[in-house]
Amino acid sequence: MFKLLKTIAKAGESTTKYPFAPLEVGDAFRGKPEFEPEQCIACAACMRACPANALIMETNEQTGIRRWQLSLARCIYCGRCEEVCPTGALKLSAEFELAVTNKADLYQEAEFSLSHCLACDQAFAPKKAVQYSLDLLIQDGLGESQVEQWTKLLNTCPECRRKQNMLEGEGILQGHMLTQEFTDERN
Amino acid sequence: MRGIKPLIGNDHTQAIPLAVDEHTAKLKGTLLKDIKRSAYVYRVDCGGCNACEIEIFATITPVFDAERFGIKVVASPRHADILLYTGAVTRAMRMPAIRAFDAAPDPKIVISYGACGNDGGIFHDLYCVWGGTDKILPVDVYIPGCPPTPAATIYGFAVALGLLDQKLKAKHHIEGEKEVVTLKHTGIPLELKVLIEREARSFAGYRHGQIIADEFMEILVDAKPDNVDAKIKAYLDKRGDPRLSEIITNLNAAVLERLGQGQAKKVAVNQGCAELEG
Repeated sequence: MFKLLKTIAKAGESTTKYPFAPLEVGDAFRGKPEFEPEQCIACAACMRACPANALIMETNEQTGIRRWQLSLARCIYCGRCEEVCPTGALKLSAEFELAVTNKADLYQEAEFSLSHCLACDQAFAPKKAVQYSLDLLIQDGLGESQVEQWTKLLNTCPECRRKQNMLEGEGILQGHMLTQEFTDERN
Repeated sequence: MRGIKPLIGNDHTQAIPLAVDEHTAKLKGTLLKDIKRSAYVYRVDCGGCNACEIEIFATITPVFDAERFGIKVVASPRHADILLYTGAVTRAMRMPAIRAFDAAPDPKIVISYGACGNDGGIFHDLYCVWGGTDKILPVDVYIPGCPPTPAATIYGFAVALGLLDQKLKAKHHIEGEKEVVTLKHTGIPLELKVLIEREARSFAGYRHGQIIADEFMEILVDAKPDNVDAKIKAYLDKRGDPRLSEIITNLNAAVLERLGQGQAKKVAVNQGCAELEG
């Protein structure tokens, strides 16, 4: 009997204090995906990566709005969205206390506006994604003289850009590469 | 048939959740207000992968010990106060699930457990599932997770018994005017940044690779050419992880190699431009 009590005393208490004290979780714990809408460019990479279709994006060209929705009910907390997010807007946190009585509280939404094409006024890409690509180009060393030209180019939808880039079109950027001398030199 | 609406066309049936009558709802309210006894849980597996079951049993083992709150898993729905539904509700399990619900004495609490039970999870669009407990039964509490951890399960029970309040709230963000994404590590040339991220990912995968690349680039931005090696060494010593040391050493080597090459390449490009202009 004494031996048993000694063993018990030595083993100590293994039961966690939770829920009376906060529970410590590991570094790599994958809890609730924490979404920072300000950092999101609405590129829909997370939506494509989501294996459970918990992340949904809907584009409405008429209203010019792209809707992002995360259903925490369906989310399997795999972290694929965090892997693919180019701006780090989605990060899995250590938050695990997610039980709800009202199912509507499991849904998180965000709305992003679309950029309209300068030529045909068609909504084609999220405004923030266009701005982000311009910022990246500037970071990559785009000269100040070119910024205006590129802003115009990036704010044009792919269809119109293709038309403008025809040989006789306006706004052609790579014209110097189409001359005979340049081709000879490259070959 | 109970809980099923026959349809004409390609969709043959549609599930309708069973309704709770007023009297039962009132009873439940009273039960939750002054619950003094322990609550017994009956677990209904409606076609889950058994990960949820493993976590439920982890919850009642000594480490998390839900039994210290009087929460006990019982073998029959006739003893149960709480019904715990796991799995995406396959067609074959619809009737047994309803029978378990009927067998439990009123007032009872229905908990939908795990991603599958809440919304069908990864099985939500399969032909043979109803996709969630709430498609067939009135659900009181949803515990998300795939599977929910034992701690999340205890929290869910506490929410179901009205001991703790729910923390999660629905969020709706609308893009503000002039909302711009800030770029990270603007102090580092984009080409170098891409190289570091790519190398780090090839060593440690996307998630951890990105974390390592971010930390490495922060060191690079802060440091000056003469103290960069010392800073990297201090960082690695602080972590004391041989795997991290290996990756960072390789990243550093890749960066140095590119910097050496980069200067030579720049000279070549400049010469090329001069020739073209000339």
